[in-house]
Amino acid sequence: MNNKNKRPVYLNLFQIRLPVAGVVSILHRITGVVMVISLPLSLYALQQSLASADEYATVTGYLSLPGVRVLLMVLAVALALHFLAGVRHLLLDIDVGVTRRVARWSAWAVLAGTGLTALVFGMRWL
Amino acid sequence: MTLRPTGSARRGLGEWLAQRLTALYMGGLGMVAVIYLLLVPAPDYLQWKGWLAGIAVRVAVSLFFASALVHAWVGLRSIYMDYLKPLWLRVTVTAVTLVILLALGLWTGHILLWGFPP
Repeated sequence: MNNKNKRPVYLNLFQIRLPVAGVVSILHRITGVVMVISLPLSLYALQQSLASADEYATVTGYLSLPGVRVLLMVLAVALALHFLAGVRHLLLDIDVGVTRRVARWSAWAVLAGTGLTALVFGMRWL
Repeated sequence: MTLRPTGSARRGLGEWLAQRLTALYMGGLGMVAVIYLLLVPAPDYLQWKGWLAGIAVRVAVSLFFASALVHAWVGLRSIYMDYLKPLWLRVTVTAVTLVILLALGLWTGHILLWGFPP
């Protein structure tokens, strides 16, 4: 680890063609971070919604604002991708779908399932 | 007795397992909750409070948040280990994260358990 040899490091993100499983992997991380950031907001909404009938009305009022609806939509899509990628990951853990062909297919399926969720949720919600 | 060197093969197993168990719990309860919420009309305040009045529901939801926090801890930690190269930065960010997650856990308990009814 200590030899500082001069190997070429080629990390031009616009030149690297990330395989689809890699795309799902990085999206799994990004959506996870997005949801962690939303946790305090969710807790605050939960706390206020239980405080009184007036506070409950305030919270539901906020949640139906157009901007907040879009935000909730983003969160729902993040959750869908994280959930589907997680199921894929758990299956890989128990050696289901570890061949390259199936793993590529399941990565596409995660993206397709997320797109479908976005479509259904968007039509119901926005 | 065998002495394990630092960085032994078992390091990380607990985190790995916690990540999976919390995922299964959240995935299971989450699916039940989503299906339920899609089937029933949006609740008013009294119904909403009524759902969370039962101690079993509040414990289940508290465990959901606890799972999310443990899951977030393991996930964020692996992200930090991958991308935060300077040791001082990684240690600082990890420590701050731990404090925030613990605080969120206490807050969850306050809302749903010992602070209930609000």
